[in-house]
Amino acid sequence: MKSAYFKRLLPGDYLVVLLGLLLVVYLFKTLWHGEHAAKLEIRQGDQVFATLSLDQDRVIQVVGPLGTSKIEIKQGKVRFLSSPCSNQYCVHQGWLHHVGQAAICLPNRVSLELLGAKKAYDSLNY
Amino acid sequence: MRFLVFVLALLLAACGKEPLVHSQSYVFGTLVDISIYGESEARAHQVSNEIFQDFQKLHHQYHAWQKGSELYELNEAFSQGKSIQVKPELREMLEEATSLSKQSNGLFNPAIGGLIHAWGFQRDEFTPIDIQPEVIKNLVNANPVMLDIVMDGDKVRSKNPAVQLDLGGYAKGYALDKAAEKLHQLGIKNALVNIGGNIIAIGQHGDHPWRVGIQHPRQPQPMATLELLDGWAIGTSGDYQRYFIDSDGKRYCHIIDPRTGYPVQHTQAVTVLIPPQKHAGVISDVASKPIFISEPKNRDAAAKAMGVENYLVVDNAGISVSPAMKKRIHWLNQSKSEPETK
Repeated sequence: MKSAYFKRLLPGDYLVVLLGLLLVVYLFKTLWHGEHAAKLEIRQGDQVFATLSLDQDRVIQVVGPLGTSKIEIKQGKVRFLSSPCSNQYCVHQGWLHHVGQAAICLPNRVSLELLGAKKAYDSLNY
Repeated sequence: MRFLVFVLALLLAACGKEPLVHSQSYVFGTLVDISIYGESEARAHQVSNEIFQDFQKLHHQYHAWQKGSELYELNEAFSQGKSIQVKPELREMLEEATSLSKQSNGLFNPAIGGLIHAWGFQRDEFTPIDIQPEVIKNLVNANPVMLDIVMDGDKVRSKNPAVQLDLGGYAKGYALDKAAEKLHQLGIKNALVNIGGNIIAIGQHGDHPWRVGIQHPRQPQPMATLELLDGWAIGTSGDYQRYFIDSDGKRYCHIIDPRTGYPVQHTQAVTVLIPPQKHAGVISDVASKPIFISEPKNRDAAAKAMGVENYLVVDNAGISVSPAMKKRIHWLNQSKSEPETK
């Protein structure tokens, strides 16, 4: 029965299977890079404002010297949703997904950093 | 259940708390962070706060456009052609900045405060400006250079009224050296001080060296890491921290070529790694500028003039590293940023 089933596979079918496998390898290599972040650290000024997990979708409001920065957590990612600063670099940074990624709003003194089990470095040169 | 709690408690205790204390503050219009290893939390915070206060003081003393700062007063005197008395510290800074400017063949030029102002970078926020080619041309033709400054004892004046000092490319490095000196005096053996990306290392992180990440200029993550050994300093000049983008999508960064008066547009980032020496912090701040400003074919010569062996450049052509730097760097995402050796 089984062998009869396989006999029905034509060369084109094997090609489809092969392409499927290649696609899986390709997706794995492109999408599966970097450790997924365990925690998000939000700092305001010289204080840690909050350390949060990324598994709950929500919007957090952090008040800095210029006003309120809105930070959005969604499906394991985080970004500056809106900011009272004029240049909006922080908002343009977009979504952060992986450990070690960070975004900062200097004018409003708010920073986001994704922390993992182990930090790849002690401090960042930029 | 009780056994499980016991095992968990034991595990947690075994993790212990690493004696690493991290403090951060905002000074010099940027983020400053200090990591101290091997001291009690209270002591580490006390030391960090002292250093933050020193930084705050330096920031106010040498602020380029805040009325009342020592540098502001000096610039006022320069523009009026008057002689002014300065404190020994500022005099020493002027001497060092002049000698570094000479060494860089004028590419590091802290006398072009007028140009930096004209481009709108002497503000806390950077929004697009209306570019005024005439104003820029006049400022370039006035040719303000450090050698225009005449020092006689504690009296200083400028032969050229166009000289307007902006120590933006020097003061952070200077502050790093001051911090390192203070940490040594206070008996702190292991610390990492980061002022807006410019970092100096003292001692190490427990049983291994301090490790720093190097930010990718176009991605919100580091592209590489390297070990920053005791006394070493690292600095980057980039077009991604202070810039504006005009309505045509053209990027104007804060690093201005003193020869043209226009922001450099051929380079995204230059990182230099400086071995232990007197004023390693200052050199890590200053030395990246001439390499950043030089045309791509002249970068090696600019690095050589500044005595820099370890450096990394990111431009539209990709990432390139000097042979010495190649041995020290650890790439985080090799497939995305394939480096080439020069």
